[in-house]
Amino acid sequence: MRPLYRAWLYFVAWLGGMALWLFYNKGTALWWQPLAICAICVALFIVTERRGCPPGGLQLVSVLVLLGWVFLFRLDSGWAARQFWGFVVGAGAYLLGLLLPWLHPRFGQLAAVAALTLLVLALVFGTRISGARAWLTVFDTFTFQPVEFARILLIIYLGGELAQNRLNVKSAAVLGLFLLLLALQTDLGPALLVFLVFSALYFTISFSWLKLVLFLGLGTAAAAAAVWKFPHLRTRLLAWLTPWDFLDSKGYQVLQGIFALNAGGLVGRGMGEGMADVIPAAHTDYILAVIGEEFGLLGTFALLLVYVGLAFWAFRLLLEVGDGRLRLIGLGFTLLLHVQVLLVVGGILRLIPFTGMTLPFVSYGSSSLTAQLWMFGMLTRLGREQL
Amino acid sequence: MNGQMRRWFLGTAACYVIILGGLLYWHLAADLGTHSANPRYYRVFSEPRGTIVDRRGEPLAVTLGEEENFRRSYAAASLTHVVGYFHPRYGMTALERIYHEELLVGRTVQTTIDLELQLKVESLMEGRIGAAVALSPATGEVLALVSSPWIDGNVLAERWSEYSEDGRSPFLNRVTQGQYPPGSVIKPIVYGTALERELTSPDQIWNDQGVFRVDGRTVQNFGGRSLGVITTEEALALSSNTVFAELAVELGDDLLSVLRRFALGSEPLWELGGQSGFVPQRAYSDHNKALLGIGQGELLVTPLQMGMVAAALANRGVLMQPYLVQELRGGFRLRQITRPVELGQVLSESVAAQVRDAMVLTARSGTAQGVCSDEVQLAAKTGTAQAGAKGDHAWFIGFAPSPMPQIAVAVLVEHGGTGSAAAAPIGAAIIEEALKIWNREKGIR
Repeated sequence: MRPLYRAWLYFVAWLGGMALWLFYNKGTALWWQPLAICAICVALFIVTERRGCPPGGLQLVSVLVLLGWVFLFRLDSGWAARQFWGFVVGAGAYLLGLLLPWLHPRFGQLAAVAALTLLVLALVFGTRISGARAWLTVFDTFTFQPVEFARILLIIYLGGELAQNRLNVKSAAVLGLFLLLLALQTDLGPALLVFLVFSALYFTISFSWLKLVLFLGLGTAAAAAAVWKFPHLRTRLLAWLTPWDFLDSKGYQVLQGIFALNAGGLVGRGMGEGMADVIPAAHTDYILAVIGEEFGLLGTFALLLVYVGLAFWAFRLLLEVGDGRLRLIGLGFTLLLHVQVLLVVGGILRLIPFTGMTLPFVSYGSSSLTAQLWMFGMLTRLGREQL
Repeated sequence: MNGQMRRWFLGTAACYVIILGGLLYWHLAADLGTHSANPRYYRVFSEPRGTIVDRRGEPLAVTLGEEENFRRSYAAASLTHVVGYFHPRYGMTALERIYHEELLVGRTVQTTIDLELQLKVESLMEGRIGAAVALSPATGEVLALVSSPWIDGNVLAERWSEYSEDGRSPFLNRVTQGQYPPGSVIKPIVYGTALERELTSPDQIWNDQGVFRVDGRTVQNFGGRSLGVITTEEALALSSNTVFAELAVELGDDLLSVLRRFALGSEPLWELGGQSGFVPQRAYSDHNKALLGIGQGELLVTPLQMGMVAAALANRGVLMQPYLVQELRGGFRLRQITRPVELGQVLSESVAAQVRDAMVLTARSGTAQGVCSDEVQLAAKTGTAQAGAKGDHAWFIGFAPSPMPQIAVAVLVEHGGTGSAAAAPIGAAIIEEALKIWNREKGIR
């Protein structure tokens, strides 16, 4: 056995043990779900390796998914059950990402059209759940968040355009329209994320200090305008600076997050011993606070290590990619994932204002999980020689 | 390109290191275990939480229900601004927070509040936006404190969102946090200062033309009417702006130093804290001095501060520190009793008596005429403070019975109209009720 596999098995065994402990305490009919997640991961692993793609990232992702499932189960078994089916769909999306040539230059324009269409649909037909996020209902039963997919499509398009002819009017217009549509839905977390990743890609292909200053100025101006225009952003900003003055609104969440981490200390209060019911959005945006309270610094540090490992794996993979265009898109995918992690965790830690996004692969949310796995499939596919 | 990828990876890793720094800080370095909004702190229950009682031992806040499923019950909705609330989700405020450590181990907190009076004040203030506070002049004990609208600690969870969205800010304790221009209720201090400086005497004759000219500008009486030939004492009773503007111009910055002596412009050092209000360092023109003399200009005061002013005038010019908690009982240290604290002689005893006489005249034949029966021996002053387009703030300060006052009151009704019509009846009713309660008690004894 290669050492990497062995480490993975340790992780899975540990998570399985945790799941067993949970069943012992809560008793459930969902015992087969973590096993099924493991089995699906192994199947995906085999397919990935057969296709000649590096499977190391999948190991880390499966650890995150299992950890997320266990914590959702600890919070409310109903969430865990739904998250499982989200993962089943997500596994399909991973395979689609892995097996089909999504990044073919021919689809570049189509991706832009699809991204904008999704956002327009969300704007026209979408319903709002929990403030800013727009949901789309298809056939009355299936709901999803278009923005989760739209931002990946946009990065596919922008990456391709940037690699070929730097920045042109058309791609700038698409980006502007995309950000505007997000702003109209007052969904500014993803807007910030997309803007940051786009800037990173742009500076990768053509860097100059003057442009950097210009971008920073532009970004600051846009942020200032957004804060001025949207009162809920102002509340968020103030809740970040002085959360104790906003106990009846956003400040409550910020404070509960850091209280939870503080209660966790070095080793945590133990599974199920935390006070997760007082943390708003404990199962989505604030799941890190729950993990931090129950597993302490060791738990959150381990989680951080998994993400850093994922970044290391992705960048090493990207070094091997010969095609400049694909490499730029791959960099976009990688940054899309990690900038989101950094924004969410930085927000919980009060290093920056909280932007309200999920913790990739861990938080509850089928759309988010499916989209992330699809993107991850496409990233893994880049590890192959041919397109 | 390879170098760039390496740089991006190092950049990402560096960001994660910053995140690790944040984790280290919140997990290990920060100390939030006893933060008042942290449910891990206030949900700790080893023994039943202590009771908060009023001055007679009537319970104000008690714990109901079984362990793990307790509920804190409050005797009056308006008490939330005094006693505070204690809720597993919303944390704790006011006395529940300040005496949390004591209450946790089962000690009883005895306050200076008179529950019967508090309920009466609550019913008088209900439906209005404003504040009322009643103090014991000799000690500084707070007998009743109502800020309206209030939040009801008994139904916090059910109505939290309603309270949060209420544009009238029910969370705000207007008694301590609300800052308002005092208007004419500042005049007793101006009168006292002028007497002390021997600028005037109570029976000096003035000819009030309704307008006082200074710096090429004018200060007018309320409604622009002229009061004719009056004494200084009558000028206070009828609230003549022209006389007091003229006195204030002559007093100049002396007036401001006396205002500060009354603890205006500084934060009250008592359990609930509060805003400092504002007293300028010096007046910048004669017109400005005139405005300050009638309680306009930049002056800002809180209802608590005006209550303290009324209490000091009632207490022969001695200002007392207000306080809410009389005694802590039970536990290791058994009893801790609060002793009244003197903040100083802010007006001489003889001047304070003259001011009191003028305020008695105000209640007998001035702007507070006929608000209560003569037996009460009320001394009072009303005020109508200009407050922009939404209408004037109505003020009342007063105390009774006048030779040996037992209660001093300040009432403010936001945008309520004139002090005589909107605030004085409430203030007088509070005082009448308090005296009724105490006379009944004396009868029993």
